[in-house]
Amino acid sequence: MKRKNRVSGVSAFVYVTFAMAVIFFLTMLLEIGFLILVNYRYSLYHQRYIDGESIRDALTFADGEYRLSEDMQRQLKEAEQWVMLLDGEGDVVWSYEKPEEIGESYRLSDIARMSKWYLKDYPVHIYVWDDRMMVMGRPKNSIWKYNVEFPMRWMRFMANAGVWMLALNFLWILLLSVFFTRKWFKSREEVRLEWIGGISHDIRTPLALVMGYADALGSSENLSDGERRQMAVIRRQSAVMKELVEDLNLTSALEYSMQALRVEKLRPAAVLREIAADFLDDAKEGEFEVTVEILREAEDAWIKADRRLLIRAFRNLFHNSLRHSGQDEKTVICLRMWSEKRWCRIRFSDNGAGYPPEVLEQLAVGKKNRAARHIRGLGIVQKVVLAHGGKIRFENGREGGCVCEMRFRAVR
Amino acid sequence: MNFYEYKIMLVDDEPELRKMVSGFLEKEGFREIVSAGSCREAWNLFDREAPHLILLDVMLPDGDGFGLFGQLRTKSEVPVIFLSARDEDENRLKGLGLGADDYITKPFLAKELILRVRAVLKRVYRIRDAGGDAGLVDLGDCLVNLGSGTVQRQGAETALTAKEYAIIEKLAANRGRIVTIDALCESVWKEGNYGYENTLVVHIRRLREKIEADASHPKHLITVRGLGYKLV
Repeated sequence: MKRKNRVSGVSAFVYVTFAMAVIFFLTMLLEIGFLILVNYRYSLYHQRYIDGESIRDALTFADGEYRLSEDMQRQLKEAEQWVMLLDGEGDVVWSYEKPEEIGESYRLSDIARMSKWYLKDYPVHIYVWDDRMMVMGRPKNSIWKYNVEFPMRWMRFMANAGVWMLALNFLWILLLSVFFTRKWFKSREEVRLEWIGGISHDIRTPLALVMGYADALGSSENLSDGERRQMAVIRRQSAVMKELVEDLNLTSALEYSMQALRVEKLRPAAVLREIAADFLDDAKEGEFEVTVEILREAEDAWIKADRRLLIRAFRNLFHNSLRHSGQDEKTVICLRMWSEKRWCRIRFSDNGAGYPPEVLEQLAVGKKNRAARHIRGLGIVQKVVLAHGGKIRFENGREGGCVCEMRFRAVR
Repeated sequence: MNFYEYKIMLVDDEPELRKMVSGFLEKEGFREIVSAGSCREAWNLFDREAPHLILLDVMLPDGDGFGLFGQLRTKSEVPVIFLSARDEDENRLKGLGLGADDYITKPFLAKELILRVRAVLKRVYRIRDAGGDAGLVDLGDCLVNLGSGTVQRQGAETALTAKEYAIIEKLAANRGRIVTIDALCESVWKEGNYGYENTLVVHIRRLREKIEADASHPKHLITVRGLGYKLV
């Protein structure tokens, strides 16, 4: 396992969030850019618009007649603009390029209407000049015009809503980031699990042949003592390989939380007795001793657990104790169980040499320590307990020996 | 029909494994063993041979053992033991709710495979265990007859109560191995077995009085402190 190449959940989340934020801001920039472009094109068109004040300055009145400068006439032509000047009575006193359908006299109501909307579908602007009024029009369908009016309260709300919408956008980015990070991790885990599953499958079939034939040959009467011993080594070591393959699968499944726990309500007292009985039955006569002490109130304690995994965890503890027991004295394993408030507590201890410091150190790192090779079996114990929402602690007893204390939440 | 007359069909794509398992079964005494290396071959062979039990690998070159099992179930109730090289298959099997008779993960020991085959045959075809003394538990100085529910000792015959019978039956089925108090209570009182431990002790004492020469110093029904009992 290459740990250096691993991306942790938190850093993956940061990457994805960063990527999402960049995408979000790029999109925003694109939108703003688009608006600016549209506005620019409009402004190009609008630039040609000649306001009332400029026209007024270019308009002279002499000999009872209005006269517009030639330069202004050219500009108005380019801007496709027409102009008319009304006197205080509403009559047209001068005009330039006024369409024929536009009348010569206007009432107050006509003026009120055209100041906000259109004049016979021509978009118009009004410029008030002393007691006169200049109307500047442009071709039909060239300008969209609408009279907009909002209550102030609503406008204030909109200003606040803008801030909230921005905050919601950020929240949305975060949620999407979580979603994509999980998806990304899940697919990676699945690929990894599939890969491990494939490898273990490929190992198991040839291993079945090795174990099967070694077992058959081991009981053959034609073998010499030396050959029988060698066969026993092959048998033992292939059993170790079998355990290794199982551990590899289980470790990866538990590590990536892909192991669907088959949870059932069970009495740990019964499970503990069953495990201890199985071990005693399978052991050689007097190989080790097991004492099971279950306090009265813990007898009726129930927990929700995956029975198979729980048994596996205790098997690993037993194996560990037997593997590391001293040669001189008989291994004594003690299982104690008691209830404490809402917890069901189990203490596994032995009279061996205790856990080596490096093992305790690796176990203390807990879930993060994925590649620790010395704690393979104990690591599974730890992962199983944690997967059940329990707590676990490994330590050495005051008088030596390994101590593993775990607790599971009791259920009614 | 005894165990060894039952025909076993082995389906696995690995010829070496087929050879090895067939060898184990033959050595055990099974006389009729047929084997196939693919789903198609197995399907054809099944019609021709009509086996009594199938050992079926999950991963086959032309399909999935579960798929083949589903097809077989449409026309037969033949017991099937799955052989699998992947732990996940057990979950899948349970998830599919196919109701296979047993499941063995590779690698397995010959002993384990034979035990499972025998257990399934015994259960499905209701075969009495080889030896012919089914129902008789010989404890040396006394004989427990599970058929009649009696204990014969020094010429005298004593009847067993229903609870004593259930206890001795469970212990005899696991003779030489520890049977936990929980397992004993469950076989005697079935569901909700917790809380019967004290009653169990009373029944065990009475049972000892019937089967042991000295109930205070039992030689056959041994207490394994903190765990349960063992019949030796």
